[in-house]
Amino acid sequence: MKRFGVGALAAAMLYLVATGATGGDAAIVRPSLAAAAALEASAPALPDTLANSIIQSVCIRCHNDSRPRGNLSLESFDAGDAVAKAETAEKMIRKLRAGMMPPPGVRRPEAATLQAMAGELEGRIDHAAVASPYPGRRTFQRLNRAEYERAVQDLLGIEIDAAAYLPTETMSDNFDNIADVQMMSATLMEGYLRASGEVSRLAIGDPEAGPRQVTYKVPKTGSQAVRAEGAPIGTRGGISVVHIFPADGEYIFKLDMHSGPTGFLYGMTAPNEKIEVSVDGARVALLEIDPFMSESDPGGMVIETAPIHVRAGPQRIAAAFLLNAEGPDNDLLKPVDYKLADSNIGSAYGVTTLPHLRDFIVTGPFAVTGVSETLSRKRIFSCRPTAPDEEEPCARAILTGLAQKAYRRSLVAGEVEDLMMFYDLGVPEGGFEAGIRTALQAILASPHFIFRFEEVPADAQPGDVYRLADTDLATRLSYFIWGTYPDRELIDAAEEGALANPQAWEAQVRRLLADPRSSALATRFASQWFRLQDLEKIHPDAILYPYWDNGLVQAMLRETELFFDHLVRTDAGFFDLLTADYTFVNERLARHYGIPDVIGEDFRLVAIPDEARRGLLGHGSVLTLTSHADRTSPVLRGKWVMEVLLGTPPPPPPPDVPDLEATEEADEGRFLTVRERMEMHRSNPSCRSCHRVIDPIGLALENFDVTGAWRIKDQGRVVETTGELYDGTPITSPADLRAALLVRKESLVRTFVQNLLAFALGRRIEYYDMPVVRDIARQAAAADYRMTAFIRGVANSAPFQMSVVEGTVAEDVDTGPER
Amino acid sequence: MDFITGKHMSRRTALKGLGATVALPFLDAMLPAGRLSASSKAAAGATRFAAIEMVHGAAGCNEWGSSQFMWSPEKTGRAFDLAPSSLSPLEPWRDYLTIISNTDVEGAEARTAKEIGGDHFRSSAAFLTQAHPKQTEGSDVFVGTSMDQYYAQRFGQDTPIPSMQLCIENVDQAGGCAYGYACVYTDTISWAAPDEPLPMIRDPRAAFDQLFGSGGSAEDRTRRRRTDKSILDWVVGEVVGIRRSLGTTDRGRLDQYLENIREIERRIQRIEAHNTSGEHREIPEAPPGVPDDFAEHVRLMFDLQVLAFQSDVTRVFSFKMGRDGSGRVYPGSGVNSAFHPASHHGGREDRVTEFAQINRYHVQQLPYLLERLAAVEEPNGTLLDNTMILYGSPMGDSNLHNHKRCPLFVLGGAGGQLEGNLHVKAPDGTPMANVMLSLMHKLGMDDMKSFGDSTGDFSFAAVSED
Repeated sequence: MKRFGVGALAAAMLYLVATGATGGDAAIVRPSLAAAAALEASAPALPDTLANSIIQSVCIRCHNDSRPRGNLSLESFDAGDAVAKAETAEKMIRKLRAGMMPPPGVRRPEAATLQAMAGELEGRIDHAAVASPYPGRRTFQRLNRAEYERAVQDLLGIEIDAAAYLPTETMSDNFDNIADVQMMSATLMEGYLRASGEVSRLAIGDPEAGPRQVTYKVPKTGSQAVRAEGAPIGTRGGISVVHIFPADGEYIFKLDMHSGPTGFLYGMTAPNEKIEVSVDGARVALLEIDPFMSESDPGGMVIETAPIHVRAGPQRIAAAFLLNAEGPDNDLLKPVDYKLADSNIGSAYGVTTLPHLRDFIVTGPFAVTGVSETLSRKRIFSCRPTAPDEEEPCARAILTGLAQKAYRRSLVAGEVEDLMMFYDLGVPEGGFEAGIRTALQAILASPHFIFRFEEVPADAQPGDVYRLADTDLATRLSYFIWGTYPDRELIDAAEEGALANPQAWEAQVRRLLADPRSSALATRFASQWFRLQDLEKIHPDAILYPYWDNGLVQAMLRETELFFDHLVRTDAGFFDLLTADYTFVNERLARHYGIPDVIGEDFRLVAIPDEARRGLLGHGSVLTLTSHADRTSPVLRGKWVMEVLLGTPPPPPPPDVPDLEATEEADEGRFLTVRERMEMHRSNPSCRSCHRVIDPIGLALENFDVTGAWRIKDQGRVVETTGELYDGTPITSPADLRAALLVRKESLVRTFVQNLLAFALGRRIEYYDMPVVRDIARQAAAADYRMTAFIRGVANSAPFQMSVVEGTVAEDVDTGPER
Repeated sequence: MDFITGKHMSRRTALKGLGATVALPFLDAMLPAGRLSASSKAAAGATRFAAIEMVHGAAGCNEWGSSQFMWSPEKTGRAFDLAPSSLSPLEPWRDYLTIISNTDVEGAEARTAKEIGGDHFRSSAAFLTQAHPKQTEGSDVFVGTSMDQYYAQRFGQDTPIPSMQLCIENVDQAGGCAYGYACVYTDTISWAAPDEPLPMIRDPRAAFDQLFGSGGSAEDRTRRRRTDKSILDWVVGEVVGIRRSLGTTDRGRLDQYLENIREIERRIQRIEAHNTSGEHREIPEAPPGVPDDFAEHVRLMFDLQVLAFQSDVTRVFSFKMGRDGSGRVYPGSGVNSAFHPASHHGGREDRVTEFAQINRYHVQQLPYLLERLAAVEEPNGTLLDNTMILYGSPMGDSNLHNHKRCPLFVLGGAGGQLEGNLHVKAPDGTPMANVMLSLMHKLGMDDMKSFGDSTGDFSFAAVSED
């Protein structure tokens, strides 16, 4: 354990600077004096008097003591004092860098002058931070739902749904892993306990398992015309899932069909419908669907199989309709496109409807015959005792292996003995396997597994800055890049003390990035940064967007994740995020975007010739999640860009402001376009000051409809996209918007870094972190903004590698550095 | 735990003193002084509350049906005759029965032209919220906070599970249903907030596991609890070791974790105490999955409610016994017509009578619940004395799809708050919300000023004995 006092650390940093060991190769990187000096040299020297004169002549017109707009008064702000007032200065820097201040309509100094002013404030603060670095701290993290699922999958080889045990995560600053909002309650902890019992039984199998019922619901928006992902070829609709069977035994599969509004089978006009149940691709039952079945029948809409023998373990099971016909039908209208957005729509003659599976229910096991070999059992039982005296050593070996992975370190004295105590407790219930299962349950319920504790050096004094223990660093790194626990190689390196060596650390970062598990940066980090989870909450109006179905939603999510993963994997430049002339589509999504010649379910890299569609702002995911069900929302789109990309959230609307819904939908017998309604809304002066900033951003994207499809008309009128960005730049198209955003490189890059850092640290980024954010951004700039430069910058940063000891015993919030 | 005024020992203190292995069904020392006296007002939050919804109104809300007193009895006050009514199965329980007739659920009515016809898809959302659901098939659903959730949010934190939501019919919770309404309006009656519908559990076994822990049999569950307890004991020891290497904030959080672990231990002990305290108290075997038979399914759900109330795992249930537009046939009712078609009886006397028979069949399920509640002795009466059961429908005359003069009655003593044997007829146009508001006052939420579209309090005083 290395520990530095603040002074010692600063001295060490100066030494590193002096020896030239800065940049990505250093173990710990602070904003170097050289860089800070270079920055000051490059910025036109602006005497304090001039900075202050801008503040005094421009800023305080709104930000004064008597009328502090935005709750900020700069009347007594002295630029020479920026370090002491860093919190305020950082707010100013953010707005200045985004070009949002002074606001539109106010006479503003030259852009270069304003940027220089921001640069000067930054220079002062960053310079001070080099002399007195402050890494911040947070409390320990808890395995959240996503991390729990991953850990169980990696540890035991089974996919579980953590939502069945653990409540919804609290999000803070975009992410679900922010330690200080990870609440603890008895009900939550009981969830972990319950999960430990269930998961250990699912993984090992449970010869004692009693029958129970598991229901899989088919989304109503799932298309019944196409094959469900994972279902056998030659089927349509239905559902395919991986179900974990707890034991070898008989199971009954029940299929609950959707009825129409009158209680009869939805799609009853389709002849000769049959539904197949399959286990691992093999048909185990073929059931005829009685077109005259009805809710009033004794069994309701449920048809069920005879008991079917299935072996224990995860098996892919499917219930899907046999495909009777392919190709186009003769319908003139396809109001809901073979999904069931609304069972009233389409239940009429002349419209082809197909039976729709509602629930797929697995009941069992009955007549358990034992537990046969499964993949997860192979993974767990690394040895098999063949004689009674082999049992204990084998159990020790198995449990040591499992606990080391789960606890993310080697075990200390006594820990295996504790687990053997649970082994002994379980053995009388069912021998060796029951013993292992009981001990596995204890591992999964252990605080060492559930929490990621970080050790404070025993002799640390309040205010001390210290480097994290190597094993804690290994866990941080692996959860940052992989979203799961560290592998043996990383733990070994940590326990050998190798991570303190900058080259070895760097090698580990590169190794983790090259591993397929680093796709977690896309599925965990980027998906939350872009708020992709909101996509599931949007249900576009079924009549206006009949083609909208669950397959399209999933494709959109996948597109954005694959795209971000590609940026990381190919070490692309960050700005490709906005400008890339390529993306990932499958047939469904390609058809939606109008990209030709893409056949099949698999995603592939395609070029985007259409400039409007390029980059993230052309992704259906982002465009849909910022829409309402029946209309686009330039406000939500503008707000998304401001918050997610520029890091400058607009203020919340003042109370009692009527929302857009309160404006007229029609005028003189004609439906108004979204733009027309927005302009009516904006004519209200209390709305105007903010909406003139937010709306033009979203209006530039108005050619994308609710589902992100390209359109040229809205309510029969040609879509009008012209507008002016808040700084006066005219923007009329997605390409214009991109270009205008790219002028604000500094804001885009810092917002990315800030999000990446928040996710990596598991805490919100505060004003005192901004010197580090800028430093990482500068390093990345020096490396052509390559994606890995950002990731390495975060991994090498002081807040990632260090922490500070709390000041006093009573203090439980991080109030920032002492000044 | 019903912490009331006066000196009493907290259960935790008691457990510390007694050690972990003692079964403790009722530690008299933990009962606050005065709790046993009949005159004492029930503690706020101590009353158990179950809100039951049946859809499609009642035959007795039809013009002809009401003239035959097929739902509301002819007389108000105490001397009412239940014989012609679908409520007749409750005759043996009339001392626990309070009928409130003639109230309206205006929130379920159409307010704009676009909303006309969507009554089935608004009703359930309006029932316990007495608010008007926003017409949408999107994710922007909005109605109101439901009565059960107001109660659970105020008092539910005293129990392991603040509230639980159960249902009988298959519900979807996602997507649009019809007439521009999201299915969630039809599929739940509990709303934690106006935009936060709560899912309802249909599988008794799933509900059972949540309440009492997993396991295939009583023996299996006992074994699992034993393992759980050993693990928890061990965790407590582990925490001591971890604590040493942490900073002050982390230690605080770890202490909180330890407190959570102790609370789980208490919960386990509470269930064990419950199991060892009498032969009839063993938790019954839960069948796998959803039974096909309506009455069997309902009885299981009632069993769960009684057990959960009895062991104080939760004090609040909402229970949706039907689903709007359901075509279910109830063979046990003696009627072969499906529920929804039967509800559109066209005002024909024979078909109204037939529909009344279905209504009667639904009400007929309740005595089982009442019997089981009455069989549980508590220090201050039976469990039935300490429970408030609301039963009603957000629709009136199903043939017309109106929401006026809707079915509503309350069962149980509600902790001494309801006298029973009473029929109160509200003045015309009284919102059902008024009754619910006053019931919430009786549940201890005296400070609630309004609820849904309420216009004031409702008086349960037995008025004219006409």
